Amino acid sequence: MTTHTDLPLLRRTVTVARDDGHVVLRHMRDEITLEGVAAKLFTTVQTDLDGKNQIDAIAKKASAQPARLRSLFEQLEKAGVVAFLQGRDDAALMTGIEFHALHHEYCEHWLEDVYRHPFWDRIMNGTATRSQVLGFAFEKYHYIEAAFEHMGIAAANSTPEMMPHLARHFIEEYTHGDIYRKGLRSLFPDDVVLRSQPLPSTRALVNYLNESAQRSSFAYYSGNELLQMTENSSGGAGDAVDTFYGAMRKHYPYTDKLIDSFIAHTKADQKLGHADAFLLMCKSVPPLNRREVNDALNVAKNMAEHLVLFMDGIDTFYAHFPMVPRLPCDPLTE
Amino acid sequence: MAPIQERYRSKRIYEIKPTDGGVELRLSDRIVELGKQEYGWYQKVAEWLPSVRGVADLSRDLGMDEAKVPKFIEALAGTGLLLETSSGPQTMTGLEFHARFSSILGSWLSEAFSHPFWERMMSGKGSARLFTGWLIELYHYTKNANRHMPLSCACAHEKPIKQLRAKHYAEEWNHYHYFMKSLKALGFTEPQIAESVPLPMTLALSNFMRQAAREDILAYSICSAVLEGTTTDRGQYNPYYQKAGELYGVPKEAIAPIYAHLDLDVQYQHSDLFQDILKHVPQMSRERASRVLDYGHELVEHIWMWTDNIEKYYEVESNAVPRRPFDVRVD
Repeated sequence: MTTHTDLPLLRRTVTVARDDGHVVLRHMRDEITLEGVAAKLFTTVQTDLDGKNQIDAIAKKASAQPARLRSLFEQLEKAGVVAFLQGRDDAALMTGIEFHALHHEYCEHWLEDVYRHPFWDRIMNGTATRSQVLGFAFEKYHYIEAAFEHMGIAAANSTPEMMPHLARHFIEEYTHGDIYRKGLRSLFPDDVVLRSQPLPSTRALVNYLNESAQRSSFAYYSGNELLQMTENSSGGAGDAVDTFYGAMRKHYPYTDKLIDSFIAHTKADQKLGHADAFLLMCKSVPPLNRREVNDALNVAKNMAEHLVLFMDGIDTFYAHFPMVPRLPCDPLTE
Repeated sequence: MAPIQERYRSKRIYEIKPTDGGVELRLSDRIVELGKQEYGWYQKVAEWLPSVRGVADLSRDLGMDEAKVPKFIEALAGTGLLLETSSGPQTMTGLEFHARFSSILGSWLSEAFSHPFWERMMSGKGSARLFTGWLIELYHYTKNANRHMPLSCACAHEKPIKQLRAKHYAEEWNHYHYFMKSLKALGFTEPQIAESVPLPMTLALSNFMRQAAREDILAYSICSAVLEGTTTDRGQYNPYYQKAGELYGVPKEAIAPIYAHLDLDVQYQHSDLFQDILKHVPQMSRERASRVLDYGHELVEHIWMWTDNIEKYYEVESNAVPRRPFDVRVD
């Protein structure tokens, strides 16, 4: 008889490090250290943890006690580094609330690459160029202004459960680009701000939101929530954002009014209670099957990668092509 | 904004080369040489033109009497570095537009391929891993033609243009098989590649083409023409594959399908398609021409950023190749 613990799999995203006879397994923010016999046993069977081998077969190959192996794998499952492929019904449903918790756990992990991006340090230590600093303001403006696009598309294509949330979100957000625009108008004429062109990487982020919004309103918001998490967090990311703006003001005094607009926008978002928006959506959707869970999490993961790309664009593109603002073409300018 | 700021704007500079006494600025139609001081002044003017700062501010920045500033700006316009916004026709025919496009395509392509990645790969400082990554992304990019080419047919309004776009799609839709063949020669299995996930910037290229298709068939067609422009001359744009093959030990079986694909594109004469489409456009307003050019140039920038994304991802040894989709059961 096959039990749910028969086919152990070392999760693909686990990193394995060895040090002085210890084995350290890391998955997202979790870490477990194996020592002594457990470390040796894990090392012996590691290559067989591919979700295709039964515990009894692994034990036989490793000349180990099946019960002992099973116990080790169950501990590793609790630590989040091992999964059991069978025994989990693929058609099993996950409630929206369960999804919300899982989503936040993964998103916090995926956002680490965004928070580690070298561009933040460049601003903090004052080595970013004028183009990168002003470019950062323009790209933030373009991204926020694009609420017209992706939030509009999302509301227009939403499921019945998601519609009230997405409609409310659009109505609350569509004027937020003007908050950034006000900041940019301290340095550039309104017409120049309105006609300026986003970087391809910013366009990539917006278009990914647009395409997701057209395809699946829940998956779209799963991705959008990851973006919201960068601004709505209290403590953690929130504190880091305040420190960042402080350093930006110090090194780049001409951006004073721009920073005022960034902060005004963050406060406007927080006042609207957007931090709870996704939780409310998750409460209202019907239970999700594994395919829907994977779809929504893939969009969130891709969104994190698009956000890193957004940062790469500001950092790298403005370093190579320092023209800012980026004016549209004319037959005679090219 | 001072009237003089509304009167002039900068033209695009494609390359800045230092010389003994100053710099050489390359525009699409000329090279302008400036001394170091003049170049500094030009930079200040270019920065000032789209700003809210007044003439007095610029005069102070330049260390120049305010009364002399307009003359100086006029002189810069005379060199071709600045454009007088009221100059030029307000309408043009489709073929006149094509002539304009053809005159700048070379500059655009040089910008698209100015990423340091190419020099790195051609000088032997790249790797087989980077080459493989580039091929995987090319596979996705080519397969993703199915996300935008049929959409462009659906969104076109004029029958002859619909026909031309549909013919192009019919000739291109399955070209991703060439890249699959190359990747199989490198040891990948078909499911490994088919189920893999493109980089965000690879996906962005097809999403941008979808955006263009929905906006204006000419916006879509100029993007398509820029992409076809990269395949018109094997000698100019594609020595990369052969050289990379030699430098990084890429087997001939992996290179041959890529050249077969390039040769097929040349045989189909896809680079003439934009001109054929524009023959059906009797008149374009300057606004439409500008918007279409915006799309073309944004596509150029997408190519540059795509290259950057490929280099940054595939140069990290610990990153998965090919990229797998996230699965909650196993990740």
